[in-house]
Amino acid sequence: MAHILAIHSFRGGTGKSNLTANLACALALKGKRVAVFDTDLASPGIHVLFGFSPTPGQCTLNDHLQGDAPIVDCAHDVTPEQVKQAHGRIWLVPAAMDSDRIARLLREGYQVEKLNDALFALSETLKLDIVLIDTHPGINEETLLSTAITDCLLMVMRPDTQDYLGTAVAIEVAERLDVPAIRMVVNKLPSHFDPEQVRERVASSYDVPIGALLPLSDDLLTLASGGLAVLTFPNHPWSDEVRGLAGNLLETVL
Amino acid sequence: MSALDLQALPGGPLSMAGLLAIEPAALRRLLKSGLRRGVSRTDLAALLEQEWQWSLESPEAQELLAALDQRGWFSQHGDCWKTHLG
Repeated sequence: MAHILAIHSFRGGTGKSNLTANLACALALKGKRVAVFDTDLASPGIHVLFGFSPTPGQCTLNDHLQGDAPIVDCAHDVTPEQVKQAHGRIWLVPAAMDSDRIARLLREGYQVEKLNDALFALSETLKLDIVLIDTHPGINEETLLSTAITDCLLMVMRPDTQDYLGTAVAIEVAERLDVPAIRMVVNKLPSHFDPEQVRERVASSYDVPIGALLPLSDDLLTLASGGLAVLTFPNHPWSDEVRGLAGNLLETVL
Repeated sequence: MSALDLQALPGGPLSMAGLLAIEPAALRRLLKSGLRRGVSRTDLAALLEQEWQWSLESPEAQELLAALDQRGWFSQHGDCWKTHLG
């Protein structure tokens, strides 16, 4: 059975989707078969990083959760050439981008149990090694489910006081749900911040291991979600940290 | 051993927010175990033993499972028990 890795943040704008897409790529570059679920159904966006946009007739997660589309039809192969050469694969299960579909989902809702079953059904059908869940920020039914079923929760935050406070709430929830492993990822760390001081503050705030400290990067801002940094800027410190995180997760929890 | 008052459990479909709020923690862990692909009979028996020192066939365990099944929260499917979210 595939390992589940949920990537979550309490607040928006932490770079969670960017990290999820690049981490998926880093894991696939190690030969893993990976799927990425975009469960940020109210504000989807991770598909952009993979250069994917559903065309008419191509199914999205919404078609499964609010319809009868088989989940395997909602999974699209987005494997970049470099990843194919490394014998890895990436499938993306995107959320619908049309405003009427998003509104319908918010209006009518869906049975969250269907999301649980979809994750495991797809992992069996595609013989996946790892399923990454890109969650909606904050706490709702989907994020609680993702937290409850994950093998490892990655909590993404910026070194910002509001993020410190909100992250504490999310970790409290995760601990109440007996999540087997939690890792902190601090993203968008300004260059004038002392990484050791940030490590100490995170360690003293949460008593949770730090997975990565990712620098605020002009290069990533320039990339503007137009691609995957681990492929476009493979020697960038941000990419180094993401590959290091992937390796550490594979050694310790996946 | 965790105290368990079945009469105090709310009725109606189970939500994740509801699961998060459930006490005692042992019952929350039982319902969590039925997520993903469900919990096997063997693992369920081990969990009941660990949390309450009950065997699966004991009257206490059967009463608990019946109460959860009656609410539509946790039911048997083949050799597995699954948690159902409304």
